Parts: sequence; structure tokens; C-alpha cells
Amino acid sequence: MSPLLILPIILPAVLAGGIILFASNALNLQRAISVLGTLALLGLAISLSQAPTQAYFLGNWPAPFGIALVLDGLSALMLLLTASLALIILIHTIRTGWDACGRHFHALYLFQLMGLNGAFLTGDAFNLFVFFEVLLIASYGLMVHGSGEARIRAGVQYVAFNLLGSTLFLFALAVIYSTTGTLNMADLAQKLPQIAANDTGLIRVAAVLLMLVFAVKAALVPLQFWLPGTYANAPGPVAALFAVMTKVGAYALIRFGTLVFPTDLPATTTLLAGLLYPAALATIAIGALGTLATRTLPRQIAFAAIGSMGTLLLTVSAFTPQATAAALYYTVHSTFAAAALFLIADVCRTRRDGLTAALYMAAAIAMAGMPPLSGFVGKLLVLDALRDDAIAWTAILLASLLTMIGFARQGSDLFWKSPSAEAPAQSKAAILLCLTALAALTIAAGPITDQLTLTAEALHQPAAYIAANHLGGPK
Amino acid sequence: MEILIASAIGTLTTCGIYLMLRARTFPVILGLSLLSYAVNLFLFISGRIKLNAPPIIGSGAYTDPLPQALVLTAIVISFGMTAVLVIMALGAYLTAGHDRIDLYADKEKAIKASARIRGHESDSRAEDQP
Amino acid sequence: MSLALIAALPFLGALTPALTQRFGRSIATVTIAVFTATALALILQHLPAIMAGQAVTTQIAWLPSLGLNANFRLDGLSLLFSLLILGIGLLIQAYACFYLDASEPYARFLTYLMLFQGAMLGIVLSDNILLLLVFWELTSLSSFLLIGFWSHLPQARQGARMALATTGAGGLAMIAGLMILGHIVGSYDLSAILSQKAAIQASPLYLPALILILLGAFTKSAQFPFHFWLPHAMAAPTPVSAYLHSATMVKAGLFLMARLWPVLSGTPEWFWIVTGAGLITMAFAAKVALFKDDLKAILAYSTVSHLGLITFLLGLGTKTAATAAIFHIICHATFKAALFMLAGIVDHATHIRDIRALGGLRRAMPISFGLATIATLAMAGIPPLNGFLSKEMMLEEAAHTAPWIIPALATIAALLSVAYALRFLTYTFLGPTPAYAHAPHDPTPGLWLPPAILVVLVVATGLAPMPLTAWLVDVATAATTGAPIHANIALWHGLDPPALWMSLAVIGGAIVTLGLYPALRRIWDATPKPQAKAIFDASLTGLTQTAATLIEKLHNGSLSRAFSLALLTILTLGFYAYHSAESLPGTRALTPIALAPAVGVALLITAAIAATTLHRKRLLALLLVGIVGLILSAGFAYLSAPDLALTQIAVEVVTIALMLLALNFLPKTTPRKTAALRKARDAALAVTTGVATAALAYALMMREAIFPPISAFHLAQSVPGAGGHNAVNTIIVDFRGYDTYGEIIVLGIAALLIFALTENLLGTKWATRPHQTAGDAGDPHPILLQTATRLILPMAMLVGCYLFLRGHNQPGGGFVAGLVFAIGFVLQYIASGQDWTAARRRIPYHAMIGAGVLVASATGVGSFLAGRPFLTSNYTHIQLPPLQDFELATAALFDLGVFLCVLGAVMLALDALARLAKPQEGR
Repeated sequence: MSPLLILPIILPAVLAGGIILFASNALNLQRAISVLGTLALLGLAISLSQAPTQAYFLGNWPAPFGIALVLDGLSALMLLLTASLALIILIHTIRTGWDACGRHFHALYLFQLMGLNGAFLTGDAFNLFVFFEVLLIASYGLMVHGSGEARIRAGVQYVAFNLLGSTLFLFALAVIYSTTGTLNMADLAQKLPQIAANDTGLIRVAAVLLMLVFAVKAALVPLQFWLPGTYANAPGPVAALFAVMTKVGAYALIRFGTLVFPTDLPATTTLLAGLLYPAALATIAIGALGTLATRTLPRQIAFAAIGSMGTLLLTVSAFTPQATAAALYYTVHSTFAAAALFLIADVCRTRRDGLTAALYMAAAIAMAGMPPLSGFVGKLLVLDALRDDAIAWTAILLASLLTMIGFARQGSDLFWKSPSAEAPAQSKAAILLCLTALAALTIAAGPITDQLTLTAEALHQPAAYIAANHLGGPK
Repeated sequence: MEILIASAIGTLTTCGIYLMLRARTFPVILGLSLLSYAVNLFLFISGRIKLNAPPIIGSGAYTDPLPQALVLTAIVISFGMTAVLVIMALGAYLTAGHDRIDLYADKEKAIKASARIRGHESDSRAEDQP
Repeated sequence: MSLALIAALPFLGALTPALTQRFGRSIATVTIAVFTATALALILQHLPAIMAGQAVTTQIAWLPSLGLNANFRLDGLSLLFSLLILGIGLLIQAYACFYLDASEPYARFLTYLMLFQGAMLGIVLSDNILLLLVFWELTSLSSFLLIGFWSHLPQARQGARMALATTGAGGLAMIAGLMILGHIVGSYDLSAILSQKAAIQASPLYLPALILILLGAFTKSAQFPFHFWLPHAMAAPTPVSAYLHSATMVKAGLFLMARLWPVLSGTPEWFWIVTGAGLITMAFAAKVALFKDDLKAILAYSTVSHLGLITFLLGLGTKTAATAAIFHIICHATFKAALFMLAGIVDHATHIRDIRALGGLRRAMPISFGLATIATLAMAGIPPLNGFLSKEMMLEEAAHTAPWIIPALATIAALLSVAYALRFLTYTFLGPTPAYAHAPHDPTPGLWLPPAILVVLVVATGLAPMPLTAWLVDVATAATTGAPIHANIALWHGLDPPALWMSLAVIGGAIVTLGLYPALRRIWDATPKPQAKAIFDASLTGLTQTAATLIEKLHNGSLSRAFSLALLTILTLGFYAYHSAESLPGTRALTPIALAPAVGVALLITAAIAATTLHRKRLLALLLVGIVGLILSAGFAYLSAPDLALTQIAVEVVTIALMLLALNFLPKTTPRKTAALRKARDAALAVTTGVATAALAYALMMREAIFPPISAFHLAQSVPGAGGHNAVNTIIVDFRGYDTYGEIIVLGIAALLIFALTENLLGTKWATRPHQTAGDAGDPHPILLQTATRLILPMAMLVGCYLFLRGHNQPGGGFVAGLVFAIGFVLQYIASGQDWTAARRRIPYHAMIGAGVLVASATGVGSFLAGRPFLTSNYTHIQLPPLQDFELATAALFDLGVFLCVLGAVMLALDALARLAKPQEGR
């Protein structure tokens, strides 16, 4: 059992605790701790991404009785994505001084990372709820950072809607525990196939309720209403960080859809896929129409983010290894693309110069799935994975067009019609880093997709994941 | 007994949801509180009902302790969430001057809000008809 | 590597203007020209191999699993296009250097130009159709930048967006088309695809693929009905127009049709779609060109017409037609690029582009006049210029194609093109000289030399087509058709060919047309015409506004709307999931009902319903909710959950107290505004959800778990494994201590959030005064209550300590202990007011949170020292004489962390309320 597995969770917690206790009024010290911590998380994520699938038994209690963390290709990928995005956004926050607009930004930021990492690593369904709450409440804090009327009011809605989601999560967990008597995800994966075919009603309800919980996080239509107000009103860097928050929902859908409720499970078969598919199509439509119609940049990016979740989950809903691999690639891509756009929107508030315009164009074409950046590669991978589905193709390509038209009009209004270069230039280092990530994702698409294909195949054949839990009984 | 508890859960859910659908922050918070009672009770009964069997080792008969532990965690978390929501709602009221929960209660408000977000309104619609 | 390098050169060149611009315009231009020239030289280096009929290829694996590879291929067709792109590119660079105003961002212009050049070169060199798509979309994007270069002009912005939307849409269709093609063949490599004609044309997917690919080609090459963007792209600076609309952008669609000609052509579908579109475009655009007055607009429609001509030839599907198409691509590129540059020269000299306001320039601008005459006559197809040759070839092909409408339309189109060409020339350069604001004169050689070079080519290839162009036409056509070709291009084919007679008819007809022009013009002006731009704008605006209406209606910021939709979805899907499968009936026996719980539930239901119906009276509703919580707590006690009962009651007290204090600031009542219909709707939704939840709860309670619950392990291991008798407590601090770890983090974050938010609120202007009523906090407080609470505080602390210590074995623990402490303080606050609390604000509550998190983490990490995983507990029994024997578990230390976080969180919330109450007195 490598203690490295728990570090992505306790390291940020300890650092945040330290900041509160010893550095609550020393911004520069907070910044240093935050940057070093995030760097350490990145290092950890890199080293974990080379580790084999393994579990970590908290409190030394065997699964399924205690809580187990499980590291596999997917969780390692999400850790790496989170850490690299977090570092980039931290740079932006510090360079633009956003962290000085309110108290405790860095502690909240570290707690946010802790919650994300915890959600990606846990192998226990109830513990996933707990870490959802950690990451949510930290996100509430970041969302209202620096406050202001519009932001707090949007924040109230964000909190209220997610409380409904959390409540739903508890309902689903209660049904799961009540019917199966277990909470460990690998244990569930082993037990659910044994359920008698004539007694699957309740477990199907649990599956659907859980899917809806994750759909709230993933902003799947018709559960997407919280997103535009939240993202458009959050501080720029926070909105950028939130690009990974919707991916938590996608992560959980992929995890439960492949491990606990795979399509070959007799009780649920294609129940989830069948529900996910039309919802994802609607999400693509709402996202694309919103991007086309919305006039203000942050809100427009928020709709584009919704649209990208639609594409992502449409791909996921195929539940084939190839589609999952494409979805994973698209996950990484859309996270950096949305983050770059939100950071650009932040910079654009005060100054719209030539360089910003160029960055905007690069990020917008990535988001719209145009070449040369990874959006195009991602789109090709998705289309190829869904090759027999004419409806999906039409939806994805039309959405690309509407997104492109929307962003082109926005860019032409912002940078051509009303450029402004009076305000002092803001640091664009973080935006460049996001775009560099997209470029790297494009250039190294070959080796990256090979790796992701292995990850996806392991997801669809979760024997190693289950074996890592050592479910034989108490040791 | 099961019927009684089920109706209690049902009533709490009904009342919670009705209040959640109100347009002001305070009733919504009350609604969410009632809903959290409902879900705590629901989570609790996932271990089913067993009278006079507290899970204190030594007494002989025990009810399922795990749901109780889960409910404890859920109670604490929902306490934290409620506290946050109350203070945020207060902040919203103090800064906005009203406690409506809907974002764009009227059209003007929507325009004002979007203008504030970007600080600049697009007029390419006018441009399209030169 | 060589081909990849060639394709990369323009992109590398695009990086240089930013560095070279400070050395002046010439240096910057020369630098990028070096990149273009190098690419051209490298292409020419492969000439011998291509002349020998070989194709040069370069393969670089990029994304092999998808079939997207950086594979390049240089054969006759790509050679022809590369020469056009790079050769004319060099002339454009020279021309642009003198054309653009000194005040314009020249470096940016060069960068865009080179990006575009690279994208075009990439298209023609790609051997992989997915790679081709990459470059294809890049041309759309870079042309967007070029067309919108004069971004201060509305028409430039609109033209750019229209071009992007149209060609981008086509590009997306083409993605689908090419991917289908790749799926049919099983490879995205052109070399593989081009050999699979039979398989492709036999596939049921042939027609969809064909249509989608042609959508891409037609939008790019401005074929009817997608031609409308091209005239609006004339808002670009003239060098851009000269480049995009002669040799490059619009030729990309033709290139694609030529490239896929071997596998797509030859079917009736191909023939009718391509020939039809080409012919209609050719005739229609020529007609429009005749009635345009703007120099560049005439050239734009002429371009559309000539693109139609080439498309028409490609559609015919014969090798001779393909030869003619290839030859006309060369001819059109030369004379049209020259004409655009000359139009730019006229515009530069006179600042007028309306030919009706021009005239007589033959005297003032003799060089331009000479060049324009030759180029225009080539465009009109007058011998002995190259345009004549290719038009003859076209007419010859048309003459041999049935039905009769095809040669007829081709002749009419040719006739119209002669007419507009002559009108263009005469109106501009002949006739009387109007009074110009500035006396026009010929420009510097820098501007007229590039078109002059092209005009020389126009004449030379017209006079000696065989030695000069036949080799190129041969290799390009061979590469297009996949079979060796020897073109026979000559000025004079004798008296037999029908083309000759058609040409004569064309010229005669053109003269008649020009003679009748005033009458025709009146008819034209009087006829209502569908304006493609207006239609495009209206449909896009319509779509945008419909989308905006839909999105605004949906996302109207209403939380209850969001809640309602979410609940409906949950209900529907949950119901569906349950009823689309079988379930066994419950097997458990009902637990008998005693009187006390029945009364309790009745009370609970009454209180909940009362709270709901009376919710406008907020204080009352809050108290009723509190009562619900208290009954619930009693219920937990009755249902064998003493820990829950204790926690619930403590949480309830603190929550209600906090909400009471918050209510102090908020309005005390909710205004009565809701419509009855909405109330009924909400009630229906609420009741349905409630019934569904109750049914689900009942179903769960009446059944056993399918598998033995894991909690059997917890009960068995509670004492031996975790050292505690209270199984609930051992679960939360040990078996599932990690959940609790997360939970205290939640509390800690809640406290931080409240603290940070309060700080912010104190620093912002408030829109309202809190609804603080007299008699509340701030005023004298009942002395009795004050005294009582002063006593309660130490008692609360004592009880808290007791609960804390016994938690591992009996109901209690750090959480409840923290709450009990907090209750003591809350009561104190209520009784004594915020002043008292404010005076005690020195206690750094939020440090308490930090300490709590650190203590809990440290306890967990401590187990690393023993080589165990995080949060592994250890315990020992110790005897403290006054107390009973109890275990001192590391879990107790962990519980201390919980305690600190809970107390800190409650106190911070309380503190926040106190601080918010304080400053309002000064406001």
C-alpha cells in the first residue's frame, strides 16, 4: 500500500489548515504555500500516473468494511488534469491579484483541490458523497470570493440547487445500501450481477437516481440551470477552475457506468446509456444555441461549457472502450479550452488588445472544435467512435458550427469593433499555459490516445480495479 | 410502524419541496431543512426498523449501526451547508435590498446584470442592418 | 521530411513579421518572401520525379489509431496548385508591400497572409484526408482574419463572419463526408482511397458522402447557392482579394473535386450535381457581373462565374473535360490575379471603385490601361490570350454534352462574360475623363510589376500553350484522372469544331448585349431580386434571435423553475426505472405501532404542514420547523439511535438559533404574491414527490437486503478491532473515520466561507438596512435570562466534556460535545446581545478551525509512524481513578479535531452575525 495515494488528499488539507492557523493575514506566505502545494500535487499526480492499479485501505480496515481509495488509470488522469489546471489558474490568480479581493482564497483553493482529489480517488460510494460535499462547499467559498451583489445572489442559487443534488445523492445511497448492504464500489460491482432478474426495480431506481446526481454536476439538460449563472458570476479564475468541476460529474458517470452499472449488468443493461443519450443531445443543443445567442462573454463560455459536456457525455453514453477513450481525450481538452476562455474573459474585462484577441481566437476555435488545436482532434475521435450514429454526428457538427458563429461574432464585437488598450495589460502567462496544454494534447495525440485507450479498456474490463480491493474478506 | 415512518418521510418531503419552490430565500432555506430531515430519516431506515436495540455492544440485540453513522455524517454536513446558505442569503439580502431568489426577477435587472458582467454591450445586431 | 518542411515553411514564415517589423516594411516582406520562395524552390526540386509520373510522399505518424497522420504527397495536381499558391503568393507579397497604407498594422497582415498560405499549401500537399481537413478549416479561419483585416469597417467584419460561417459550415459537412469516405475504404490515406473507386461507388453511403463532400467544395468555391459570401469578402484589402479569389481559397474546392475525381466522378449523381451547380453558377454569376458597378464586385462575380465554369468541366467526368478544367485553373489564376491587382491600382489612384464614376484613365494611367486591357480580354476569352484557349476547350466539351440546355447555357454564360469584361474595361479606361479630385497617375513599379508579370504569362501561354503549359497540364491532369494524358492545346483547331462557331456567336451576342445595355439595365434595376446576403442575414439573425428567446425563456434565472424541472425529471425517470422491471413484494413483517410514536408522527406531520402553510410568518414557521426537528430527535431515540437523537437535538438547537439571529436582519414576513395556479402546480409536484418518496421508503423497509450488510463486521469488530462499545461511534471515528475527516473539513470550509463572506460584506455598501426591530439584540436584556445563561455556559461546557469523553462507548463524541459548548455561547449571545459577544471576539475562532483540521490530519498521519495507513487507530486501556475504566484511543484525538472544527464553525457563524449587526447602527 503506497502512502502516495492518500497524499493528494491530506497534503492540501494540512497546508490549508496551516494557512488558517499560521498565515491567515500573510498573503505572500499563503501564495507561496499554495504554489508549492499545487506543485507538489502535480508531482504526486505525475508519479501516481505511472503506478499500477492499486487500493489504499484507510484505517487499515479491509474492503468493503472500511473505506478504500483506488487508483487506476482514470483516477490518475483526473488527478493529473486537476493538478495541472490548478497550477495554471493559481498563477493567473496571483498575477492578477484576484486572491487579494477577499479573505482565505488560498485555503479555500487548497480545500477545493482536496475535495476534487478525494472524489477521484475514493472507491466507496458514500465517501464519494462526502468528498462531493467537500468540493462543493469549497466551490461555494470560491464562487463568492470577492463578493458583490450579483455574485452572492448567483451563489445562493448555486448552493440551493446543489443542496437538492446532495439530498438526491443521499436518497440514492440509502436505496443502494438498503438493497445491497454495501457501499464499496468494487463490492457493488461484484454483487449486483447476482441480483435475481425478477427483483431489479429498486436497484434500477438507485442507478437512475445516482445518474441524476452526477448529471447535476455534469450540467446535463434539464439539470443544467445552475451553471450559466454560476460560471458567469464567479471570479474569472474560479470559473476557469470550475471547468474541472463539471468533469467530476462526467468522471462519476464513467466510473459508475463502467464499474457498477455496466451495460452487461442484467439489472440495468442499457438503462443509463438510454437515458444519457437523449439528455446529452439536448445538452449539446442548449449549449450550442446558448453560445450562439448569448451576448456577454462569460455567459457565452458557460453555455459553450454546457455544450462540451453534452458532446462528452454523448460519447460516454456509447459505453464502448473506443468511445470512452475518445471521451477521456475530450475531457482533458474541453477542460483546458474552457479554462483558457474563462481566463481570457477575465482579462478582457479591462483590456482588449491584439494579443488577447489572438489568444481568444485560439481558445475559441479549440472550444468550437476547429483545427489546429485539440478540439478538432477530439471531435474526430468522437465522431470516429460514434461512426454509426448519424444523429450524433449531425448534432456534434451543427453544434460546432453554431459555437463557431457565436464566438466569431463575440470576437468581432469585442476585439474588432470595440478594442481597448487603455487599461494596463494583465498577465497572460496562464492563458498561454492553457493553450500550450492544448497544443501538447494535439501534437502528442498519438501517444496520449494510446494511453487513454488502455485506460478505457481497463475501465470496461474492471477486473484489476476489483481485484485491487482484495474483497476476499478480512485479512 | 413502517407506514407511520413512510408517511412522515412523505410529508416532510412534500412540505420541504413546496417551500423550496417559493421565490424568497428564507422559505427556500426552511424547505431545504425539511427536506434534509426527510432524507436523514430515509437514510436511517435503510437499516430498517428495530426497536430497543441500540448498537451499543453488550446489550444483545443491535440495529444496523452503519446507516446511523452515515446519517450522523449527513447531519453534520447539512448543518454546515445550512449555515453557509443562511449567511449567503443574508449577504444577498443586504447587498441587493430584497430577498428574491430568482436572478432576473425583471427584465431590466437582467440587462443591468449582463452589462455589468462584461461592462460593454454588443450591438452587432444593429450592425447587421447597415 | 522534405514535404513536411515545405508545408511548414509558410507557418514558420508567419512567425517572422513580429520580429522583423521594426526593421521596416521591406525587410519584413523580403523575409517572408524568402520562406515562400524557399518552399517554391523545394517543390521545384521534385519536378523531375513528378514529370516522370511519380508522386513524392512523406509520412509522419501522428494519431495512427484514428488514421490521422501527417502524410504528404506531391504529385502533378499538387504541383500545379503549389506553383499557383507560392508563385502568385510571391507576387502578392510584393504588391502588398506597396499597397497597404503606412498606418496599417503591416506585420499582422503578413502573418495572416502567411498563415493562409500555409493552410492552402497544406491542403494541396496532404495525402491524408483528415490532415487535409485540418488545413481546410485553417483556410476558413485565416481567411476570416484576412477578410476582416480592416476591422474598423462594419462590412469587413460582416464579410469575414459571413465567409467563416459559410465556408466553416461547408467544412463541417465535409468532415462528415470525408470520414464516411474513410470508413468505406478503411483508410484516410488518399493513396488508399483513390484506388477504391468501385468499392466507394457501390457503397450505400456513396451518395451521402458525395453530397457532404460537395457541400464543402461548393461553399469554398462559391458555387450557387453558396456564392453569396464571395462578393462580401471584397471588403478585404485588395491584395487579399487578389490572392484568395484568383489562385487560392476559392480554388480549394476545385482542388478537392479534382483530387477526389477518380473515385467520385463518373456517376449520374456526380454529373448532375456538379455539372448542374457549375453551369448555373457560371451563367448566373456572369449575368450579375454585367449589372455590377463596383470594380471589385464585377471581378468577384466574374470569379464566381469562372469557378462555375471549372466546376462544370469537372462535373462532366471525361478526361478531356478534366484537362480543360486544369488548364482553365491556370489561366484564370493568372488573369484574375492581375485584374484584382489592377483594380486595386485604380482604386488607389482615384479612390473610386464605381465604374460609372470612372473613365478616361487610358490617358492618365497608360501602363495600367495596357495591362488591364490584356487581362480583361483574356477574361473575356479573346484570342490569342490564354483565356480564349480554355474557353474554347470548355465550349467544345459543352457542345458534346446532352441535353441541349448545357451547351446553350454555356454559350450564354460565355457571351455574358465577354459583355461584362468589355463593360469593365470601357467604363474604366475609355470614354471621357471625369473631374478627379486628385489627378490619377500610374503607380510605382512596385505596384504594377506584379500584374505585369502575370500579364506576360497570359500572353505567353496564349501564344505558345504547348511548350509553356502542356507539361504542367499533362502531369496535373494525369494526377487528377489517374491516367496519362497528352493535352493538345492550340489556338486554331480548324473550322470543324462547334466551339469556333459558338465563340463567334458569343462575341456577336456580347456586342448586341452591350448595345442593348441601357434597356437591359432598366429591366434589371426594376426586377426584384432575392438578395442572398439579406436571406443569409435574416436566417442567421432569425436563428440567433430564436435561440436567444428560447435560452432566455429557459434560463430566466428562476430557481423554482430549475427545481421543478429537476424534480419532474427525477420523478419520471425514477418511476420509469422502477416500472420497467420486476420487483418482488416485501417479506418483512410490519413492526407493531405503539401509541407514543403514533402521536409523535401525528405531531410531526401537523408541525410540518403548519410550517408550510404558515410560511409567510417566518418566525412562526421557523419555530415549527424546529419542533419538527425535535420530534425527529425523539423519534431517533425511540428507533434505537441514541447517537442520532443526541446529535439531532444539538444541531437543531444551534441551527434554529442561527436562523433566528439571521431572521433578525431579514424581512419578518414573505409577501403574498404567488398566483393560485402556481401554488396548485407546486403543491401537486410536492405531493407527488412526497408520495413517491414515502412509497420508496416503505418498499425498502418491507424488504431485507439482498446481501448480508457489511455492518455485521462493524458490530463484530467494534470492541476487539476498534476498542469501543458504541458501534456507531467506532464507525464514525474508526471504520469510516475517513468520512468524518471529510465531514470536519466541510465544517471547516463552511466556517472559512462565512468568515470571508462577512469580511466582504463589511467592506461593501449595503442596499438595505437590516430589518432590526427594537427590543432585539443591542437593547437591555432581561437580567434574569442573562444570569441564567451565565450559569448555563459552564454547565454546557461540563456536559460537553462528559459527552466527549464517553463518546467511544456511549452515545456522544466530539461533534455533540462541540455543539453543546456552542449552545452555551449561543444562549449567551441571545441573552446578552452582540456587545457581550463582540467583546469576546478576540478568540481567534478561525484559528480553531485550522487547529481542528491539523489535529485530525496529524492523528491520521500519526499512523504512518507505525507503518500503517492513514487514520489507523490505536488504543490502550487506562485507569483514571475517579472515572471508570476507559480506552484512550487515538480516535479520541481525532475526535478532538472534530470538536475544534464544530465549535469554531458555530462560533464563526455567530461572530459573523454579531459583526454584521454592529456596523448597521452607524449606517
